Order: sequence, then structure tokens, then C-alpha cells
Amino acid sequence: MDRLRQDDPARIGDFVTLARLDADGSRGVPERRYLARSADGGHTVVACLPPPGGDPARWAAEAQQAARLTQPGFWPVAQLGGTAGFPWHAAPYRPALPLPAVLAAHGGPLPEPLVRTLGGTLAEALASAHVLGIVHGGVCPAGVLLTARGPLLACFGATRANPMTETSSAHPTGPDTGCLAPELAAGGPVDRAADVYALGAVLAYAATGHTVPERQEIPAGLRDIVTACRSRDPQGRPEPAKVLAELLPGAAYGGLAGATEPLSLPGRVVEALSRQSAEVLAAALPTHER
Amino acid sequence: MISPLLHDDPYTVGPFRILARLGGGGMGTVYLARSAGGRTVAVKTLHTRLAADATLRTRFRLEADAARVVGSEHGALVVDADPQAPTPWMATEYVLGPPLDTAVEVGGPLPEPAVRALGASLAAGLEQLHRSEVVHRDLKPSNVLVTAQGPRIIDFGIARAFGDEHLTNVGNAVGTPAFMSPEQAAGLEHAAAGDVFALAGVLVFAATGRGPFGGGAPTDLLYRVRFGDPDLGGVPESLLPLLARCLAKDPAQRPSTTELRTALGGAPYAPGDRGGFADLLPDGVLREISRRSDDVWHEPPHRLPPPAPVEAPRAETALAAGVSRRRLLAVAGGALLGGGLLGGGGWALFGGSDDTGGGTAKKDAVDRPKPPTPLWSTPLWCPESGGEVMRVGRNLAMRAGIVLCGINAESGQSTWQANIEEIWRSATDGNRMYALRGYQEAASLAVCEVAQTSGELGKPLVELSAFAGKEQYNQLLCVLDGTAYLVARAATGKGWYLVAADLRTGKEHWRSPVDDPPAENVPPALFGGVVGSRVVLCGSPEKDSKFIHLSVHDKADGHQLWQLAETFAGTPPTRMVADDRNLYLGAETLTARRLSDGGLEWMFGNGRDVGDSAGEERRYGTPTVQDGVVYCTEADRGLVSVDALSGTLNWQEQGLSGRKSKREVAPAVGKKYAYCADDTGVRAVDLRTRKAVWTYQSEPVVLTGDPDGGRLYLRLEKRTIALPLA
Repeated sequence: MDRLRQDDPARIGDFVTLARLDADGSRGVPERRYLARSADGGHTVVACLPPPGGDPARWAAEAQQAARLTQPGFWPVAQLGGTAGFPWHAAPYRPALPLPAVLAAHGGPLPEPLVRTLGGTLAEALASAHVLGIVHGGVCPAGVLLTARGPLLACFGATRANPMTETSSAHPTGPDTGCLAPELAAGGPVDRAADVYALGAVLAYAATGHTVPERQEIPAGLRDIVTACRSRDPQGRPEPAKVLAELLPGAAYGGLAGATEPLSLPGRVVEALSRQSAEVLAAALPTHER
Repeated sequence: MISPLLHDDPYTVGPFRILARLGGGGMGTVYLARSAGGRTVAVKTLHTRLAADATLRTRFRLEADAARVVGSEHGALVVDADPQAPTPWMATEYVLGPPLDTAVEVGGPLPEPAVRALGASLAAGLEQLHRSEVVHRDLKPSNVLVTAQGPRIIDFGIARAFGDEHLTNVGNAVGTPAFMSPEQAAGLEHAAAGDVFALAGVLVFAATGRGPFGGGAPTDLLYRVRFGDPDLGGVPESLLPLLARCLAKDPAQRPSTTELRTALGGAPYAPGDRGGFADLLPDGVLREISRRSDDVWHEPPHRLPPPAPVEAPRAETALAAGVSRRRLLAVAGGALLGGGLLGGGGWALFGGSDDTGGGTAKKDAVDRPKPPTPLWSTPLWCPESGGEVMRVGRNLAMRAGIVLCGINAESGQSTWQANIEEIWRSATDGNRMYALRGYQEAASLAVCEVAQTSGELGKPLVELSAFAGKEQYNQLLCVLDGTAYLVARAATGKGWYLVAADLRTGKEHWRSPVDDPPAENVPPALFGGVVGSRVVLCGSPEKDSKFIHLSVHDKADGHQLWQLAETFAGTPPTRMVADDRNLYLGAETLTARRLSDGGLEWMFGNGRDVGDSAGEERRYGTPTVQDGVVYCTEADRGLVSVDALSGTLNWQEQGLSGRKSKREVAPAVGKKYAYCADDTGVRAVDLRTRKAVWTYQSEPVVLTGDPDGGRLYLRLEKRTIALPLA
């Protein structure tokens, strides 16, 4: 959570912006995310805008898709608004830290058991989406929002909205390039295997602090599964259900992404989550400041 | 914790809109509230009847002043206060952390570094208070909130600590005197050194889980505080001399708060390190902090309806309001959806019209609602009995013909199928599906998990060689918290038992003898399940009998608490309808039986004119209980809403005629409508106007409401349909 800057909108639809969700200077965030509140003070939301330089129409099309989904484990898109040139979407606020903020709060890569829990939960969310023929297409560290009850996948369709071109692998508005499967550069489709590649990159990020680590940087217990997910050959990547089984052997499929109990998180991560919650609770609309 | 508002709670206090209750006591109530600018606060009010007392009002003001002195680092920031209002109130920040007593309960005694950091911070808070010549006077574990950033001191005892009357009433006015200073216990002045004494007691509690003078009757406690030696067993050795000094009977012997803070050594992390304190906390406490940080953003629970017009004892109403979600969730028969589960807790999309206030009446007048369009509809056949829809994780399970099917809740597609013909051999705990190992397979009885990918049974989680594995009518009643409850036949001899078996350790907990099945080809029980601390078992009726056999057992050791035979009318009940106090049954009358002793708590409908019921002897249908209200169809006249506590009529459906109600189908209840089955289909009864607003033409066999998922599942003979639950 970070203070608003000069060039940030004061309003998004009927919502008054309060703060940025992502820290200043965050990279690889495929949309602009704000904490915002309805003018009557009654509803606080996370409101999202397309990234600067991105194609608003493509972004809005993905948001519309996401709004139709009620996939567990996906950050919801509850409300769509704006115009063709300035689209936005919003969902009720709940305390959430983008994965880079989680690592920043913890002071570095996360312990392996937590990486397993996060990865397993995300794998379960992808597995259940893939069964229905839904490809997330935006899995990346900044697209993972950690809540008290587990991680949720935001930034639906970010890769589809910001397609890579053959000439430039630089991808200023989309997800972290480390999350983009190699076949995408050759114009390949954003498919289920691309989600798995990105999941591997997110696991690598959680365990090492970056999406393209050397093999030996990855904790030994995670090395094989991360490497398999990040296989150059789409055929060589495991199904998400397999990733879940590898990360959390014996976990019941269907019980993770909709968890009702809080997750065990490191003290500093809990501190950051609860501090964000407290700050948003204490925030008042600018016109109502006492 | 956050609980629903009572019907007579205010809508606003000062400039704040009231959202939910946080707590209440003899002096006033604490609410969760929101300002016009959207700032969320805790608002503490003083009862209007007490506000007439000028001294109490002054003390309330002093408390607000004291809270201001201690400030936001060590206390709860005071946002606003009006001690002069007819109902005096004070608004503070909503602090995200459990009280220390809850923290120790969920996370165990704190490790020494945490105790030191906690103590140093509390000492600093008291130091700040004492510098302004304010004394707390009521420091105890429940007045210390443990946040991720450090402890916060709340609830100053100023309003309570004066006067003699409270000492003579010590048991009820102040709660436990376990953390009082000896001078306070003697009725003498409790000055700054008294707070030091209390703080040491709090630290002993944090380190060991007990106060230094134990518990027990207030008079004994007061005596021990004044004259007994503190029990410091379990306190880390390095803290012993310091805490013993703080607990000296003579105030002059105790260290000052500054000394205490220095001696505790401050925190083992840098002053600006925000996460340092949280890193010292046990996982259970951290999870509790996370939970509170998240839950405060959930849509607040709905305000409870007024109790029935008949005089209901006030204390009972308050108790019903305090029923927590967790307690209701402990109704394990309610792995079936729409049992007694409270809705709420989920995210209400603000685009919807289910607002928490009024303002929807206009909409109703404009367009009359039509039956909704199904979200999905699939050709899943419903069996004659046992067709209930169960939630398993976030998916569904239900019987389709002779197989058990896993169904994707979003699409209605079947994801797995398990070949378990006997419906009584499988059960879910809400997250996983379990079944007894096939009766052709092995000599011993075993419980296995049903894989939610393939529908196959996994390796036995528990194997019970004392029970006959080849008995087809062994029955898995329910699974809750890793324990399976079953009814099984002994391997040797013919006796049948209710058995609790731990699925984690694979061990039998207990067994208790029960009746044999009444015939060759029926399972022993119609239904059974866990409600709170009890296991309810309803034996199958004998052929042509109009009695069912109810027995209730202690969940801890299985011993039978009571049993009785109950009459039924029409088809025997097939599911448990219970809340945490009663079991409900609809037959000739609608009855509530106490779970505690089987006594009849109330009976509704005896002698009531219910109109023509076309020769049906069964007048009341299968009930549904939700949020303290029992919904039940009454003959063919429609739905009645009956207060679950008192058994008095809240309201009855208006203007229904010419329909024949399906008594064996329990109603489902949403926020706006209750859904009932009759011979023309499913009708939605508006909970405000008490009239049917639409009918979904069909021949329903089972109706299941899923308040959390916002779905109404409708099972017809050859089709299963998902409708939005409004």
C-alpha cells in the first residue's frame, strides 16, 4: 500500500481513490491497482485500471471475462465501469498483499513450507479453472494477492491483453517476463501449459526472490517441480493437479482455494497484512477528514 | 468478536453508522461502526439508564480522557467521544488483535522473548499513563489486546473502580479479581504501584496461562491476593526475581514502571522494526490476528429480527445473538447444505440489491419478481431418499440413481462418480468425502476417503477389527473434526454400537451399544450427527410403527445421555434438523426437543386450525432452522415462521390456496425469500410481505439452500437444477 501520486486519478467511477495497492516502483504489475471508497463511505474496494501504455479495450475485454467467473482462488471482478478509453473494474476490499510485498515484508524469499502451501493453493485454483476450459493467462508474482485465508490470482488475462510481439521480448506493461512461456514469443497461444509455466515462475519467485533463478538457487525440495513447470517444451509441463500433489502430498483437492481458516504466515507478513487492514480501516475520505 | 445487531440496537450513534456488535456488558455495549468518510471504529456506549447517574457519566468521560492519554501506540486511538449525549459514547480505532486471554488460549503460553517484549511495551504504556497521573486500575489479560505491532491497553477501570459497592459485589461487577492488587482487594487506594502488581500478574498469565493467584471463588481469590504467596511455577527463571518483586504485598517494595520496563530489557529488535514483535508471537496468535484483520472487512451480519411478540426472557435473546458461526458450524449433520448455517461471512457483491438497510420496498412495488433462470440444469436423477445436495470443499456431491456423484458447483458437470449403492455408507465433513470400505472386501470395518478426482476409495484411514466389515448395513453417520461417527455390528456376537473413530490416529475413541436395526434390510439409523457436544442418533422405525427412537450421546465418551421414542406422521424424517439447543420435528405438530435432556421445549400447532389438509394426517412438514427461526409448512396453508427459542409464531404465509404442500421436502431460506415445495413447483415466499411471489413450475423432490454459495439446488426426479438463492 502506498500513497497516491500526482498523476493518479482522484476518482474511479463513483469511487474516491485512497491509496495505491502496489508499492512505488513495483515492476511487472500488469494493471494499476488502487484502494478506493464509495462517496458515501460505505464500500471500500480494490479498483483496477489498465496499465499505462496498454490497450484499454483488450484489458476491458479480459475484465469482462473475469467478471463472469466465480472461480475459487481467483480475485473477483465484481463491478465493471468506465468508458472504452478509461475502463476500470473493482471488487470489495479485503486485506491483500501482492506477492512482491509479501517478500518485502518477510525480508526475503519465503520458507519452503509456505511456498508449498501458496503454490499448492494456486495450482488447485488453476486445476479447477482448467477443467472448465478457463485459462488464467495472467499468473505472475504481482498477480498473486495474499489474503489471510490464502493467495488469490488477480490480473486475469494480462498476458492475452498485452501480447508479446516477435520483435520485442521486452514487455513493459504485462506480467514479469520471467512468467511468459517461451512459446508465447513465437506467437504461441496463451494456453493451460502457459499458466503452468507462469506458476513455476511464481514458485521460483516465492522461493528465491526472482522468477528466473539458477537451478541450484531453488531449495532442493522444490527444484524438480519448479524446473518441470518451467520446461521449455509445453508438453513437458505437469498438469496443475500434479503440481498440487507434488507440493502438498495428500492434500484434499478442493479444500485449499476456498479455505475458511487463516493460513499460517510468518510474523512479519501477518504484521504487514494487519497493518494494511488497520490503515484502510482508519482511512477517511479526503472530504471527511476530521 | 463480530456478531449481529439485535433488533433494538441503534442504527446510528453520534456521527457513526452501526454495523455489528463487538461486545456487551452490564455498563454498555461496544459496536463496530463506520463514519460518513468510511472510517471504521469501535463505539463504546454507556447504557442510557446508567447515563442518568451523573457520577457514572463523569467516569465515562474520565475513561475517554485516559484512553486519549495512553494514545495509539499503547492503547486504542480515541477518534471521537460525546460523554454528554443522552447515550454517552466513545469511538476508538478498531484494534486488530485478540485479547491476551484468547491469545494464550489459541497459541499457548508465550515464549520468554514475547513475554519480555509484551511486558516492556505494557510498562511503557502505564508509564505514559502514570506521568499524567492516571491509574488504570483494571489491568488484566482481557484488557490487553495483542496486535502484530505490540500490545494495546484498553478498558480502563476508572468507571468501575470507585466506590465500595463494587467490592462487595466483586463476583459480578468486575469479573475475576485474580489480577487485582492487594490494596485494591482490601478496599484501599490502588495507585500506580497497584498497576505494576497487576501488570506482573498479566505477565505471569502470559508466560504460564494462569494468574499468580489461580482462580476459583472471588472471596477465596481476594484472600489469596491479600495474604497468599503468588504461584510462579512455570515462569521463566530469568523473570522470576523481577516478577516476584512486582508482586510484593507492600506497594513501596515494587519497582516503578520505568524500572520494570528497563529490567524487562526492552525488545530484542530494533525500535523502528515494525514486524519485530509479530515475529515473537506463536502461530496460533498470528492466525487470530489475521482472522480479525480479514473478518472486519466481511459484509456485517444481518440485524436479528425482533423476538416473537410473546415475552421472551431477555437473557435468552442475547444468548441467541451471541451464537457464533463456529458453534453453528459444529452442527455436523449440517454437512448437508442449508442446515443451521448462518449466511454472511462471504462477500456480498455490492451490485446486488441485498443491501443491509431498507430501501428495497420500492423495487418490489415496481416490478413483480419472476422465477429466476437456472444457472445450470443437468439430467442427474434423484433417488427416492437421500437425495440431499452436500457441499464437499467448494464442489458438490449428491446421489444420482445408485451412484454418488461429485458435481462441479459452477457448471453442474459431474467430476467423479463413486459406486456406493448404500447411501448410508458415505458422509462428508464439508471438505472431504468418506465412505465405509465395501462390505464384500474385508472382514474388518474401515473408513476410507473417496478421492474427489476418481471417486475411488483410498486406503483405510481407520480400520476397526472389532466390527464386522461384511455387514452391509453398517452406517457412516457423519464426520466432524477428523472423527468419524458410525453405527456398526460387532465382529463377534450380534450387538450393534455407535462408534467414534479418529481418522488421524486410526484409533477407536469410544463405542456405545445401540438398538439393532429393526428389520433385515434397513440400516440401523434414519439419521444421526453431531450437534455441539452431543451425538444425536435416530433409529429406523419398525415396520408399520409410527415411532422413531431418538438417543443422544455425549460426544466426549459416547455414553448415552437420554433416549425416547417419538411419534411421526407420514413418511419418517430423513434428516436431522437441529440448532445448538433443540431438535425440531414436524409431524402432527411442530416440536422442539431439548438436546440437553430430551424434554419437550415447546410444541407448536396443537389445536391450531390449519384448514383442510385433504385427509393427510401429517400437518407439519419437515422444518428448516436458520438464524433462530424455524420455517415449516403448515398443512396446505403455506409456510409458518416460528421463533426457535419460544415456539411462538412470528408470521404465517398469506394468501396461499389451492396448493398441496410437499411435507417431506424441507423449505430452503435465503435473505429475501423462503422456498417451499408444493404440487405445482417451488414457490418463493417473500420474507417481508409473507406472500408467494413466484413459482418455478416443477416437481421437486429435494430442495437444498446453500447460503454461502448463494444457490438453491432443486432436485427433480430426473433432473437437478441450480437457481440463485435470493
